[in-house]
Amino acid sequence: MQLLKLLQLADSALPIGSAAHSFGLETLVAEEKLDADSLPCFLRDYLQETGVLEAAFCRASHRLMGSGWTALNQQLSARKPAPESRTASLTLGRRFLQLFLSLENGADPGGEAHYATAFGYVSRLLRVEEELAAAVYLQQTVNALVSACQRLMPLGQQRAARLLWDLKPAILESARASESADPDAACSFTPLVEIASMRHVALGTRLFIS
Amino acid sequence: MQHPDGRLSLQFEYDAATGRTLLHVAEQRQPLKVVRAFHLEGGAALAHVHNLSGGVLAGDRLSLDLEIGPRARAQVTSTGATRLYRSRAGSSAAEFSAHVLIRERALLEYLPDPLIPFAGSRFRQNTVVNLEDGAGMFWWETVAPGREARGEVFSYDALDFRFALRATGIPVAIEHCHLDPLARPLASPARLGPYRYFSSFFICRAGTSEGTWRDLEKQLQELGRKLSSPVIIWGLGRLPAHGLVVRALSQNSRDISSGLVGFWRVAKQALYGQDAVIPRKIY
Repeated sequence: MQLLKLLQLADSALPIGSAAHSFGLETLVAEEKLDADSLPCFLRDYLQETGVLEAAFCRASHRLMGSGWTALNQQLSARKPAPESRTASLTLGRRFLQLFLSLENGADPGGEAHYATAFGYVSRLLRVEEELAAAVYLQQTVNALVSACQRLMPLGQQRAARLLWDLKPAILESARASESADPDAACSFTPLVEIASMRHVALGTRLFIS
Repeated sequence: MQHPDGRLSLQFEYDAATGRTLLHVAEQRQPLKVVRAFHLEGGAALAHVHNLSGGVLAGDRLSLDLEIGPRARAQVTSTGATRLYRSRAGSSAAEFSAHVLIRERALLEYLPDPLIPFAGSRFRQNTVVNLEDGAGMFWWETVAPGREARGEVFSYDALDFRFALRATGIPVAIEHCHLDPLARPLASPARLGPYRYFSSFFICRAGTSEGTWRDLEKQLQELGRKLSSPVIIWGLGRLPAHGLVVRALSQNSRDISSGLVGFWRVAKQALYGQDAVIPRKIY
């Protein structure tokens, strides 16, 4: 039962608005720095950087006992220099928590919630094992990015499905790497993506909020 | 070989009688050294941090402590680009740590020249900055790909940078990046893409009104658009509180250096109503 619930929560059809965000990819595509050919490499590297960082926060939230929720989310906010991506993460996290708490009994930790920390918190309430929670979080992250790319570049359904299938080892690798990564120490180096997110607001035509 | 445990501890204090900021060197151990402070218009003090070794050698452990006292204004810069020399096999990474405390209504302008990592270099940097209420800072750092003229581009072994900025006790910027060009290709579109130089410029003043930040953000966004070109891109973002960060990726160092000064000038005028006083040795 818990696995079925987790699968529903990680589904791209979950009504929290994740389809409205590209987290900077729209700018990268518009500025011709990302296309369908470079996407597989991009996503692997993204998982190695941002993926491990977010999974570390997902795990930290899963492990959290008692206080520390506010500090953890402040810490993740400070790791996100691009305002649109930071706001997107906070918006999705709050909506995700609200939706879950409308479906299942549980205490609202209150205050700001990033998507990664909310996912870790909910997974703990569902008694889903930490590593599985981190891997599923990364899986839905990649699904959302690929879905955004299908609207931004010539990426057909078959090719997208193959891409997602082939990324499974990289997802698991990042989930495992995040186990030993204290959120404070987790590394991430994605300046081009961050700048793309910062520049998104200036794009002439935008399909996405971020 | 005995590696130096270089240490520099500087305190800047505001002297109400003269309206000037005075430098007190609490501690200095080679190879780090400060010769003297220079007075700038407006009463600020400029200090050049010298590295007598000419660069950072493998195994070096260097630390810099800066305390900017209440109402003091300090400008700290380097005497030239920081060269990170090749590490010998088996030697430990060179380390540099900086602890910075900017007290109430004080200002620090930390404007070092770029870091140039030579082929085979290994380097770790850990920076912690705390701003008290009303404290401000302009803080930039630029990392080059290596000695390009010798064909060294991303030929270093590993660079590890940690940066934590807290304003009035709240974390507003935390970074930890590990650059390992072999294991994590830097030309990836997730990292640097077609660019070679990267730079961050933090612009903070704790307690500044929302309206001021909003106006400044608009000005700097416009400047970023003007300065961006096929060889350089600029991005700007509001921090969770008390400041902004400007990021740049470039294919050369010249455009980054001149652009940073442009952002600094606009921000200094908006936040302090003063002109940015450019360190004489660089420009």
